[in-house]
Amino acid sequence: MRVQPDALVGQNFIGLLRVLFRRGLTLSVALMVLIGVDRAAAAHALPLPGNIITAVVYTIALALFIIFLAQTLYAWRSLVSFRGGAKLRREWLVFELTLGLALLMQLLVWQMSPGLRLGIGIGLALFGVYLSGHQRWVAYLNNSQKWQAILLQLGILGFTLLFLFYLRNAQADPVLLAPATQLSFLVLSSFFASFYAIAGLLITLFNLPIAEVFEQRRAEILGLQHLSQIIQRGQSAPEIYQMLFNSAIQTIKANAAVLLPERQPGELAKSPLTPLRYQFAADDISLLAPLLAPLPGTLRAPELIDNNLERSKRLEALSTPYGSMAVLPLQSATHNYGSLLLLHKEPHAFDSEVLSILHTFTAQTVLSLENLQLAQESLSNQRTQDELRIAALVQERLIPKRLPTDDWFEISTYAQAAKEVGGDFYDFLHLPGQKLAVLIGDVSGKGVTAAFHTAQMKGIFHALMQANPLAKKERDRYPDPHRFMVQANEALTHCLERSSFITAAFYLIDYQAGGFSFARAGHCHTLYYHSIKEEVSYFRTEGLGLGIIRDAGYEKHVKNQFWDYNPGDVMVIYTDGIVEARDGEGNEYGEERLRQMLEACFYQSAEEINEHLRHDVQEFSSGQPLHDDQTLLVIKFKAAQPHT
Amino acid sequence: MKVTTHTTTDTLTLVLDGELDASSAVVLDAELNKPEILNYRKVLVDCQRLSYISSAGLGVFISHLQRLQDSDVKLVFFNMQEKVFNVFEILGLDSLMNIVPTEQEAQAA
Repeated sequence: MRVQPDALVGQNFIGLLRVLFRRGLTLSVALMVLIGVDRAAAAHALPLPGNIITAVVYTIALALFIIFLAQTLYAWRSLVSFRGGAKLRREWLVFELTLGLALLMQLLVWQMSPGLRLGIGIGLALFGVYLSGHQRWVAYLNNSQKWQAILLQLGILGFTLLFLFYLRNAQADPVLLAPATQLSFLVLSSFFASFYAIAGLLITLFNLPIAEVFEQRRAEILGLQHLSQIIQRGQSAPEIYQMLFNSAIQTIKANAAVLLPERQPGELAKSPLTPLRYQFAADDISLLAPLLAPLPGTLRAPELIDNNLERSKRLEALSTPYGSMAVLPLQSATHNYGSLLLLHKEPHAFDSEVLSILHTFTAQTVLSLENLQLAQESLSNQRTQDELRIAALVQERLIPKRLPTDDWFEISTYAQAAKEVGGDFYDFLHLPGQKLAVLIGDVSGKGVTAAFHTAQMKGIFHALMQANPLAKKERDRYPDPHRFMVQANEALTHCLERSSFITAAFYLIDYQAGGFSFARAGHCHTLYYHSIKEEVSYFRTEGLGLGIIRDAGYEKHVKNQFWDYNPGDVMVIYTDGIVEARDGEGNEYGEERLRQMLEACFYQSAEEINEHLRHDVQEFSSGQPLHDDQTLLVIKFKAAQPHT
Repeated sequence: MKVTTHTTTDTLTLVLDGELDASSAVVLDAELNKPEILNYRKVLVDCQRLSYISSAGLGVFISHLQRLQDSDVKLVFFNMQEKVFNVFEILGLDSLMNIVPTEQEAQAA
């Protein structure tokens, strides 16, 4: 629930007092003028009866005083009820009503017995004294405002006394015929008005010595507010350090200070951590090292308070002598964020009160820095996740969705990425003239970079496999596998980081020639079922991975191989994720087991063979996390060759 | 994985123990990145206890191969397990890098 604020909360009490003072001054001047007129009339012996002028002056002065009193009471009511509850407001109402009632009774010339009048008078006076105790507004003044309040209240008091003095004299004047009793209400009111002013004045006066404490408290609160606001606005670590530094110096009025921030793990080295200094020479910072050294056997720096530097001889090397110092480490349970050093000219400046303020500051700072770090970490995690998701999406699109089909071969594919994004890739191109180009490969590394190079390889594949219109011979229309590897290696030279490489195998199958040429660049050996020999074996050919040698010398490290296939032959192309799959004991699946598996199922369709092989790999490594990407392609040359 | 080093006047021997994967590759890379490594005549890599090498591990050797060759520092692997040698061989590195069976041969290389 929101509480309706008091009219005076956060407003200027001094303004209120000043308005009152100005009115009092105006009215007092008016009173002086009236007295002057009265005196002049008496001196010049005007034809009018002297007591008439005096009576008129007296009546006007009385009216002015009543106006002044009313305004004073009105102002006092605001001050009394400031930060007061409903009870106080009721009490004030009772006070006002009683006062009004007393006046009314006197105006009606109802003669009270003197005893009753005295009783009511004393009762109201005591009530007024009680109400005068409500001076909460004084606590909200700062030092200079308090001095102003004292002077303004003295002035208001002076004006009241001036009026009372005149009225009392005038009443005693024999020429005036006024009932004395009417004044008792005024006396009562002015008694309260004056008493409240005096009480406020005294309280303000005695408040002066502790005003500084209030101001200091306020500075602390403001400092803390700034610190916590900074976290909410998500500002940088340097700003938090700066805020702590400024707040600490201001609040404890340090004569010199240094803040040495500590770099956080994972923080980029690009922003140099400059120490914050206040009245402290940069060259002297090196003198602080022994004070900031961690406790033996730990990484934590101790808190160090020295309230008598003159005796302890610490920091003697400094050109300016200081009386006391405090070294406060900025530490959380896990991190060290730096140290704050504060110096004071006076000895014993760091008492428990000051230290508790400083501890609040440092604790808040550490909290802010930690929050900041957490926020940044979660942000960068989120960004990585997003990047991976995008990369996975890109890679998903790179996988050929439609497999080439023709009546002379069957293809079956299987691919499984180990992480969000893997480094495996494959692609097909069905070329005119019943040719089929097949590429498989593995980029070293994982994640976004690997996905990027995968996309690059796919681009290279499609670029190189454009038919050359200038080729004279049919077999020169497309680069042979050896040429393909050399050109791909050259293309990758400039964009692959030095420690990365790519393994690839490329096959160019020519149905009309009934054979295929292929080259292996560091990729896993191709497993082959030879239907005539009824034998399963690996093509153990030589060939260096792409990106390992980055000059013309690569040409010698890759070879073109030829093979005539027969109907019923099966080619199994895969990545190392298949043969390096591990079981619970860390054993690798291996080439031999794969070979034996093909021996058992070569007669099946490409799809069935693929399923058979991958199920065996999955069974072998069941319960184990996927160690690496797995890709498995099975190409089967159909037994029934329709065109031959 | 653990990497320990032995030095004689002209030879630095790196003893690899365990699996050389992406995370341990960083340690090895830091070791090979030291500038003083170019002062040796030979860098021998003892692979007896190297049980596995990932592509990241191979990448470290590949990326330093040229640098060492340019400074006339020989990089020689010895005591390599068959499984690990197979990985080098498939990638074609056996034709590029000096891999010998025993330490004596490595010293003599």
